[in-house]
Amino acid sequence: MKPPMEQPMNENPVLASVTALTVEVDGRALVDRVSLRIRPGTVTALVGASGSGKTTTGLALLGEYPAGARVTGEVTVHGTRIGYVPQHPAAVLNPARRTGALLHDMARRQVRDLPRPQRRTAARQRVTEALADAQLDASAGVLGRYPHQLSGGQQQRVVLAQALLLGARVIVADEPTTGQDALTKRRIVDQLAAVAARGIAVLLLSHDLDVVRELADEVLVMRGGRVVEQGPAHRILDGPTHPWTKELLAEPRTLPYADPGRTGEELLTVDGLTARHRTAGRRAPVLNVDRLTLRRGECLAVVGRSGSGKTTLARCLAGLHRDHTGQILLDGTALPRSLRDRSREQLAAVQYVFQDARAAFDEHRPVLDQVARTAVRLRGAGHREATEEARRTLTDLGLDDALVRRAPGGLSGGELQRAALARALLARPRVLVCDEITSGLDPVTRRSLLDLLATLIRRPGGPGVVLITHDLDTAAPATRLAVLDGGHIVEQGTREQILTAPRHPFTAALLAASRRWGAAVRP
Amino acid sequence: MNGMRSWIARRLLLGAVQTAAVVLLVFALTEALPGDAAVAFAGDQPDPQRIAAVREAMGLDRPAHERLADWVLGLLHGDFGTSLTSGRPVAGFLADGFGPTLLLAAVTVLLLVPVGVGLGVLAARHEGRFTDRLISSATLGVYAVPEFALGALLVSVFALRLGWFPPTAVGYGTGLLAHPAVLVLPVLVLLARPVCSLARLVRAGMIEALAAPYTAHAERYGIPGARVRYAHALPNALAPATQQLARTVDWLLCGVIVVEALYVIPGLGTVLMNAVADRDIPVVQGLAVVFGLATVVLNLGADLVTHRLAPRSGVAA
Amino acid sequence: MNRLRRYGPGAAVVAIPLGLALAGPFLAGEPSARAASFTLGGGHRLGTDFVGRDVVHQVLLGGRPVVLVALAATALAYLVALPLGLISALTHRRWLEEVLMRPPDVLLAVPSLLMILLVAAAFPPGPVGLALLVAFVSIPDAARIVRAAAAEAASRPAVEALRMQGESWWRIAVGYVGRSILRTLAADAGIRLTGVLYLVATAAFLGIGVAPDAADWAVMVDRNRTGLLIQPWAVVVPALLIVALTMGGNLLVDAALQHRTPPRKGRRP
Repeated sequence: MKPPMEQPMNENPVLASVTALTVEVDGRALVDRVSLRIRPGTVTALVGASGSGKTTTGLALLGEYPAGARVTGEVTVHGTRIGYVPQHPAAVLNPARRTGALLHDMARRQVRDLPRPQRRTAARQRVTEALADAQLDASAGVLGRYPHQLSGGQQQRVVLAQALLLGARVIVADEPTTGQDALTKRRIVDQLAAVAARGIAVLLLSHDLDVVRELADEVLVMRGGRVVEQGPAHRILDGPTHPWTKELLAEPRTLPYADPGRTGEELLTVDGLTARHRTAGRRAPVLNVDRLTLRRGECLAVVGRSGSGKTTLARCLAGLHRDHTGQILLDGTALPRSLRDRSREQLAAVQYVFQDARAAFDEHRPVLDQVARTAVRLRGAGHREATEEARRTLTDLGLDDALVRRAPGGLSGGELQRAALARALLARPRVLVCDEITSGLDPVTRRSLLDLLATLIRRPGGPGVVLITHDLDTAAPATRLAVLDGGHIVEQGTREQILTAPRHPFTAALLAASRRWGAAVRP
Repeated sequence: MNGMRSWIARRLLLGAVQTAAVVLLVFALTEALPGDAAVAFAGDQPDPQRIAAVREAMGLDRPAHERLADWVLGLLHGDFGTSLTSGRPVAGFLADGFGPTLLLAAVTVLLLVPVGVGLGVLAARHEGRFTDRLISSATLGVYAVPEFALGALLVSVFALRLGWFPPTAVGYGTGLLAHPAVLVLPVLVLLARPVCSLARLVRAGMIEALAAPYTAHAERYGIPGARVRYAHALPNALAPATQQLARTVDWLLCGVIVVEALYVIPGLGTVLMNAVADRDIPVVQGLAVVFGLATVVLNLGADLVTHRLAPRSGVAA
Repeated sequence: MNRLRRYGPGAAVVAIPLGLALAGPFLAGEPSARAASFTLGGGHRLGTDFVGRDVVHQVLLGGRPVVLVALAATALAYLVALPLGLISALTHRRWLEEVLMRPPDVLLAVPSLLMILLVAAAFPPGPVGLALLVAFVSIPDAARIVRAAAAEAASRPAVEALRMQGESWWRIAVGYVGRSILRTLAADAGIRLTGVLYLVATAAFLGIGVAPDAADWAVMVDRNRTGLLIQPWAVVVPALLIVALTMGGNLLVDAALQHRTPPRKGRRP
């Protein structure tokens, strides 16, 4: 946490230091001459895209290296143990043991010096304290549950409690906020701030710059295993000198996706929709939408936390989720619930782009062939003609011919997402449903994909877009926003209405949690 | 834990359905015999008197559903019907064969778990080294070998060539427990396949668990190696193994039949084989029901244990 | 690791029994005149069997039925299990899935050998009947494996993307799902073949699907046991061949499986 007063850093003792660390696997440097120092109560952030060497550096502090790694340089830890909170806390929780098992094992080792009769109580006491420090209530039965019975937040706090029980004075937190919605992010940021306030040093590995901005005292920007820029947080974040840092820090798009002057008549209307999911044999309603409309030429963003029902809504539109009542109207005509019952024209009219582009392609066939099939099946084009059109569309989206002749394995995540867009576009859709299409991408790739989407919407005859996202920054440039919480649309309106004058408390909370949009609603 | 309770309820229901299916299947098979069943059962010399007797004994002049109802009611009272060849009650056959079979199965199961898990853990601890290679190739090799072939070889070597153990149980009657030497070879043969399968699964599960992030995490936080291995990694390795244990019940029942035939042990398997040879259908039916029920119950037990060990893995129910 | 080291041991073990099973009948020639039961020597290199036939001659003839019945049964089992598993994995009609998969689920409860004995008691089968019977008891498990693998592949977004493109059921089922589960199926077929081999040999040993004096390695072990004290070769040689066949087969399947699974990743990320 940022110290309240400007303290000279050098008076703080160093808890751990890394000097000219180089980690090589098969002659390739994962980490190249990285140096850093960690002091009590400070947050040091390693910033960079995935694969930049953040995690390797973080794990080096724990004395752990990839298999077969050649390590040079020095890692020194001064009289403390180091805690680790990984990106997916569930991975370090033993699925076959109750949550309390490891905690009690750790505590029991700490009380070995006590007389035997007192050990049990003392160990239990320590576990309870560690849980309380991580904001978990031991009496709520967390210890007696298996990891899969805990929520994601509880799992993360359990892992944090383990680190605190260990007595760690340095905690390595690996991408703690990646893929989380604004409110969850808020909670994690507060938690890490509380940890730092206890005098524990935090090494934050993240590409989430909002979080880094809030927490970090010291920032190291990494790219390809090297530190390209390093220094106090305010200097790096407010006055970056290295071009890569500048690119990383560039503000997200604020220019509207759609041309505000070209909004037309109603295109797609959701009317009285109730969708159900089957869980443990019961069909429970997960989504209720009274009315939601997409107009020609506009982009409608549906924002919500995970589990709010936004993906279910998208899947209902596309005919992928059949279990619902109510109607989905295209140009005033009801669409069949299942895409198996939709005609070719109806299929072509509403196309869906998947969150995980890699999983949405057949890994055995060349991307070009897969994209071309849309024109063959939905528009009755011949094979040659379809391939030619696919090639044109892909080139138009920035994917050259040599690239798209490869199987999906040969393309990056961002490139595959473009190919997925091309596959949907070949149907000449009226409505394009984009489900979290940027969630796995780094900021730079994300921005270029959203710019591309805007170009498509603004074209004459371009599709209306339903953009499903948990990220307010991604939703903000849309024509209209609908906020989904607990399966209900709590508020919808134009971007100006939602972003500057939210009426529903949930929308306000969502905005308040975001650094960029929070100012509008904060007192 | 509502989910747990409903899972158990569903699993018990599946067990009940399986039991009913076994009973029905056994009945239906005899019902499906072409022509007049009594003629078929009477054997190669169709003596009219015998055909009449068979018809009488099986109540073939009555409709099928009545016979099924009678038979099922009888089963519920422990009345399995009457043997066609000897006229004795089938329950008597079962009682005679029960002791030796139970003894064989019990000794095998008692040894199976410690030996299988022990070998698996031992191999996993020495992954890639000599001990592991030895255990892995031995278990892999023996795994698929039919009991009769292995048994015949063991008899040739240990009973005939070396003379350490008696070649068969002939002459020892049902007092097998008093002569443990008689049991050595049968139990060894019976153990071979299940032990191999169990050891391989435990080894694979253990290696996976030892390489898992949660194990690294426990080590990282200072838990001693032995405790990490046995208290934190092993429970993960046991879950898939227990599931397999349920399936080895199948093998054990097959194995018992073969081993009893091979070593001439007067257990249920021998009774079954004799009944099959004589086409003594009531006895075959009775034994099939007993074997089928045993499988259903043991599978059920193993699934419950697996569910306890790995609450997450959805055991089919 | 090179191929020889990987497949060498399995291939070496399986070569003799497999070679004998396939080529044996062509090498056997005419049977010699019957001699006394269980004799050694007298022009019979491995002695005579329980009815005085030459053991070498019987061994040359006795592998083929075991191997052929096992191969036929495995193929038959997949012929049924493959469509059963694929259809039930790809249908969105729950009742169809239940109708297709519940009966095999229930059948799984009956030990396979018991099922074979039960049917055999009612209808004593020949070799063809035995193959059908063994295939029948192998179907439930094979169908389950096919279904599980296919259901996993069918639940991928790739399949939904294909549906979104309006692709036909056949193209999705065969072109994508079928292709995706090919590896799993190849692995399972190997494992199943060794399991079927076991069942076929054991059933033959118990006298099911074979004539009491058939030239069949499993039958030889059974029938010649009475003479084990006087003439062990008539039992030991066929028993050894069956051990080598199943053991080598399993080693080969395992080597192939390891070849197909990618090498383990390093211990730490």
